[in-house]
Amino acid sequence: MKGDFAVRLNGVTKRFGKHTAVDHFDFDVPRGVICGLLGPNGSGKTTSIRMIMGILHPDEGSVSLFGGDPDRMRREKVGYLPEERGVYKKMRCLEFITFLGEIRGVPRSEGRKRGGSWLDRLGLEGSADKKVEDLSKGMQQKIQFIGTVIHEPELLILDEPFSGLDPINQDVLEEIVRDFHARGTTILFSTHLMDQAERLCQRVCLISNARKVLDADLKELKAAERRGVVAVEFEGPDDWLRGPEIERVEVAGGGLHLILRDGADHQEILKRGVSAGARFLRFDLVEPRLHEIFVRHAGVDAATAAGVPAGAMGERP
Amino acid sequence: MWTNVRAVIRREYMQRVRSRWFIASTVMAPVFMIGLMVVPAYFAQQGDESERTLAVVDGTNVLYERLASKLEEAGYDVFEQRWHSDVVTELRQMAEDGAIGGFIMLDELTLETGEAILYATSRPNLIRQVTLRGAISRAALEFQLQQQDVDVDALLAGGELRIEMLAETVSGGDDPQFFVAYMGSFLLYMVILVYAISVMRATLEEKTSRIVEVIISSMEPWHLMLGKIVGVGAVSMTQMAIWLFVGGLAFVSGLPMLIAAQPELAELSTIRDALPGLGVTGLFVGFFVFGFLMYSGLYAAVGAMCNSDEEAQQAQFPVLLLLVIPIVMVVGVIENPSTPLSTGLSLFPLFTPILMWARVAGGGAPAAEVALSFVLMFLATLAIAWVAGRIYKVGILMAGKRPTLPELWRWIKEA
Repeated sequence: MKGDFAVRLNGVTKRFGKHTAVDHFDFDVPRGVICGLLGPNGSGKTTSIRMIMGILHPDEGSVSLFGGDPDRMRREKVGYLPEERGVYKKMRCLEFITFLGEIRGVPRSEGRKRGGSWLDRLGLEGSADKKVEDLSKGMQQKIQFIGTVIHEPELLILDEPFSGLDPINQDVLEEIVRDFHARGTTILFSTHLMDQAERLCQRVCLISNARKVLDADLKELKAAERRGVVAVEFEGPDDWLRGPEIERVEVAGGGLHLILRDGADHQEILKRGVSAGARFLRFDLVEPRLHEIFVRHAGVDAATAAGVPAGAMGERP
Repeated sequence: MWTNVRAVIRREYMQRVRSRWFIASTVMAPVFMIGLMVVPAYFAQQGDESERTLAVVDGTNVLYERLASKLEEAGYDVFEQRWHSDVVTELRQMAEDGAIGGFIMLDELTLETGEAILYATSRPNLIRQVTLRGAISRAALEFQLQQQDVDVDALLAGGELRIEMLAETVSGGDDPQFFVAYMGSFLLYMVILVYAISVMRATLEEKTSRIVEVIISSMEPWHLMLGKIVGVGAVSMTQMAIWLFVGGLAFVSGLPMLIAAQPELAELSTIRDALPGLGVTGLFVGFFVFGFLMYSGLYAAVGAMCNSDEEAQQAQFPVLLLLVIPIVMVVGVIENPSTPLSTGLSLFPLFTPILMWARVAGGGAPAAEVALSFVLMFLATLAIAWVAGRIYKVGILMAGKRPTLPELWRWIKEA
């Protein structure tokens, strides 16, 4: 049933000289889902996306889109927002959007109409005839996003779409992504912001150091990992926290997250705490945050790197 | 497939035609040229009519008729004043009153040496001096020769050198027309260079701004390159059409105006005779089209393999050299259009636009060679498109350092 996948990577590997940017990456994006590609800067997200888009050619492995020849599918069905934003600075906004539609087969009049309503929706009503270079960075990014979706693609591939937007516009973009999803569009986006991914994604793929760490349905993943984390708030002694069941303790909100070792029983911890004289305000078996899951699978180092804001570290090409 | 090429063509064309640079160079340049012709003419017309009225006192009694007809041709009003003892005083008075611009005294010495005296209220400009001097000495010369029973008119017309060509040639006229050949070659060089470089810059800009990643995900690199070249080419054709139209207008209407105002410049009208006919103009356009296609392909490849303006400046040098070599050799080729060297060089496709044009306009290119040169340019265009298309395809998405020659060779093989 290869037709069920919008994107399928098969053992894809890309090397730059001695550096391996993506290492035997197997990855499927089922049709109709929102899928997040997560990982720290330099982990290989952009390289993977550029291979999906045919900008780079894998040294090994294969890429297929909608079960077919990626070149043809790409031109007809995909909308791509690259990480490095590029625009024709001298063009007028609506003209630029219309052009991007036109090269993907949207007639000019139709492109103009759609472009106009998108500009309205994104609060850029007055900018249709302004030159792209006269807009702010954030506005240019919106223009580019409109250009990405103007041909109503079946698959949206967005490389770090939220970086560079203020919180209000991040919410607007999230809303739009959900809209597309409701209409059946498949969305693959990369991010290093775990919270965003957690809110938006149905599927996540975590990569670290060029390798896939895990790739799963987010709900199933959280359910499977649920046993592992306990949120506690308490008064009194805390020496009971050093027990064999507890792998790590993290400060979270007003209390602590206890990350348990595999197979550990949280009941034991509660017993030990009570007998040590701790007075519990809260003892709560929580869904692990994506961040914690990532740490658990990729190690603390990778996770710390994942917290670094975009642009603070140069992404490898 | 072709809708996206059309979109790229339209974008390139509209962006450029609307730009200030295009409007300035297309409209302002001819306006400026016409201004150069018309404004001095206008000022000349403002000059006092009386300055053009001359009296002639002919002490020789034989020169007046000849001189008067020559001066009238040059736009003067001339009348003869019989010699009498007070003639100088009388004419001086007329000149001071502004009735005449001055008067010329001819005497026996004029017949022997061409010397004469011009009394004038203001110093005549150089063109007038030359015109008057020429008219006087020529009148004297003609008179002297006639005394010897020589057919003065035929001889002084400069004789005639009839040229019988032994092979059929394509040319603008019977005489080698250095001016048209050279200016045409130079114009070809300029326009090809300007527009081919503009293809390179556009490519480079797309690459450095990364917009190309979005474009390439929607269309084949080859289509993008094609659209770009055709779009820029269409702009160049628009510009040339406007220039030709305005230039033609200038010659048809501006030149007579100029000559009417400054009759000494009547010789300029011979430029019109030297201008190429429709057929040769057609060949010019043909040379331009192929020249542009070949060089813009090469320049597109250069743009695609570079990452910055500075890099491109260096990388374009070999291509620029290919365009400069023929312009350096063009004078030699115009002067010796039929030597084996000229023939060989003008058949090398990358040199053909400039050098074969020079031979055609200069009158020394057999039709068969011209036809062959077009076939060769056509084949070269295909070859360049193939090679440049491959370099473009790999280069346009390639960041990092500029490729070395072996790397370039690998791109061509693997693309």
